[in-house]
Amino acid sequence: MTLQLQHVTKKYKDFTAVDNLNFTIEKGEIFGLIGQNGAGKTTTFRMILDLQETTSGTISWNGQPVNSINRDVLGYLPEERGIFPTMKVEEQLYFFGELRGMNKAELKKDIDFWISRFELEEKRKDKAETLSKGNQQKVQLIASFIHKPQFLILDEPFSGLDPVNKDLLKDAILLLKDQGTTILFSSHQMDNVEELCDHLCLLKRGVSLFTGSLLDLKKQYGKTKLSVRTNWSTTQLLALEGVKDVRVEKEQTVLTLEEEHFAQSIFDELSNGKYIEKFSLDYLTLDEIFKDKVGGNVVEV
Amino acid sequence: MSKFNLLMKQLYMSKLKSKSFILMTLIYVAGMSVAIFWSDIKELFTGNDEAQQIAIVNETSADLSGIFISNADMAFIQDETNLQVLEQKVKDEEIAAIVEISDKDGQLHAEISTFTPLKLNDQSTISSLLQYAGQHYAVQQLSLSPEQAAQIMAANTTITNKNLNEETSGGKSEEEKQSGLWVSYAVGILIYFFISTFLSMITTEIASEKGSRAMEMLLVSVKPATHFKAKIAGVLLLAFTQMAIIAGVFLLYAKFVKGGVIWDMAGDIVKELSVSYVLYAILFLLLTIILYLIVGALFGSLVSKVEEAGQVLMPAMMITLIGFYVMLSGIGNPDTIVIKIFSYIPFTSGMVMPMRIGATDIGVMQPLFSLGILVLTIIVAYLFSLSFYKRSVLTYSTGGVIQKIKTVLKVTT
Repeated sequence: MTLQLQHVTKKYKDFTAVDNLNFTIEKGEIFGLIGQNGAGKTTTFRMILDLQETTSGTISWNGQPVNSINRDVLGYLPEERGIFPTMKVEEQLYFFGELRGMNKAELKKDIDFWISRFELEEKRKDKAETLSKGNQQKVQLIASFIHKPQFLILDEPFSGLDPVNKDLLKDAILLLKDQGTTILFSSHQMDNVEELCDHLCLLKRGVSLFTGSLLDLKKQYGKTKLSVRTNWSTTQLLALEGVKDVRVEKEQTVLTLEEEHFAQSIFDELSNGKYIEKFSLDYLTLDEIFKDKVGGNVVEV
Repeated sequence: MSKFNLLMKQLYMSKLKSKSFILMTLIYVAGMSVAIFWSDIKELFTGNDEAQQIAIVNETSADLSGIFISNADMAFIQDETNLQVLEQKVKDEEIAAIVEISDKDGQLHAEISTFTPLKLNDQSTISSLLQYAGQHYAVQQLSLSPEQAAQIMAANTTITNKNLNEETSGGKSEEEKQSGLWVSYAVGILIYFFISTFLSMITTEIASEKGSRAMEMLLVSVKPATHFKAKIAGVLLLAFTQMAIIAGVFLLYAKFVKGGVIWDMAGDIVKELSVSYVLYAILFLLLTIILYLIVGALFGSLVSKVEEAGQVLMPAMMITLIGFYVMLSGIGNPDTIVIKIFSYIPFTSGMVMPMRIGATDIGVMQPLFSLGILVLTIIVAYLFSLSFYKRSVLTYSTGGVIQKIKTVLKVTT
């Protein structure tokens, strides 16, 4: 089971929101779509969900155009939170489940399971409008996958959640993955993307800058992040050959290298045959790569 | 249950239990109750009031005592007392008015003296009685025999209508026209109130789903066309429910209150109506509500949040109001050119055409033509709204209605 986007373009008169986008998501995979505000993520989601038409290109699910498939195989958590404010939590989940073709008997077991898993037992008879923002989000999240979709899109699922609830959500996403659900998601928090995604697509103004595995993306940059603990000043460090950038982080100094191979000469220079407290060479984090790729001011995925 | 039925049921049940629907239904029932029990309510407030004393000072030789007969509101006293004494009594508010009747050049002249102005109704009653007394007095002056006098006073012109237009021949009797007028008036009011309630309901319902972003969750599950149709069907069902409640309460009142007088009265009116009129009235009522619901759904999809619903509703409400006033103007004369024009405009024909059908001698083709225009407008509005709805329901923009339409067209074409 795969989702395939081939040469997908969306234009609004003179503005191109998505330009020639190509990627494939395999069954049971978690795929991240990353980009700043206005990069074309939500437009891409809406085209996949057949809420918007493509200007050109094709989107298919298991080889079938998405506009001809049964909508019940899809699940979607929109970026903006939206549930019926005056409907009770339980009613809401039954309503969305039934709307996706499930009967009440089937739903009962799943609703009980997810309500318990997301610690909403005491809230099940409450109206949605009386819940906290985080709890509303949990209800909407359950509503988006209560019908066990084969393919689930989560647009900013972590926003507004506290660390405890974030972990609950991460566990739920991994459980859905284990059950065979294919997941496409976007998130503002790069650490979540790094933690969950197998593959990703980096969008900038509708154009894909990178599509592939996270490791491949990191390998493109090589191990160019050098953390050192030394008595050298930042000016001295910046003057070393191959050093692109220097910044002080807590009790260490982080150097960004032009190429990985400069690390050896820097090590020789810094140690000069003597003991140094820290010298650690790593891949850049996704957050750092993102900032570098999109030249970002706002880090948003 | 199909997705259409689920959406329709969800809307229907949530609105049926909503405070606004219950309150609105209660207001309609209360309004109807007040109308039916008006005389009793009036009695409650005025029942204990004593009838106003009106002194009649007749300075002519004619006997007018048979004309001024006391009733619950006014007690006429034939008083021969000195006028100055009576005037003092008026000032002291012991009596409400003095009607001084005298002869002036062979004509009856009356002067009404009051300290506190009389109520409009009482003033009108006294004026009518004085007019009649004037005729009576004039007849008495002619020295006619009692039979001749009685013949003149009872003179009545018999009027029959003959319609030379073959298209509208077989014209209605006055009774039929009167019945048609009253029923059309009721249909017009019903359409006006139902449109005001349910147009606003469907617009705010869709605007609220759009504003709360529940719309995106819904439209992943159902096609916009299904959502659009389910909303219209749900609100229509709700309108039928409200109509049924109001009709049910009316029938109960009619049958069991005041010994079934209203039932008999309604029966008499219905007897005067033709089957075709009833069918036309029902069709115009339903089709007009459907047309406004389609437009309301489209309006709801245009706004970004529920607070903006009033802004887009305004034009439709204005058109409804114009139709309502045109219909009201027809109570005096249902055959004016304005009424004729508005009886063909789809958004107002539902309120105006039933009046023309019921209260004028209209040809067969004209109502059919108006109905045809209405049906055609509904089809065009439905197809257009459906196409536009798919594009507008997930488009969020600021600005006025025109700006919103421009934005939808810009981002979806």
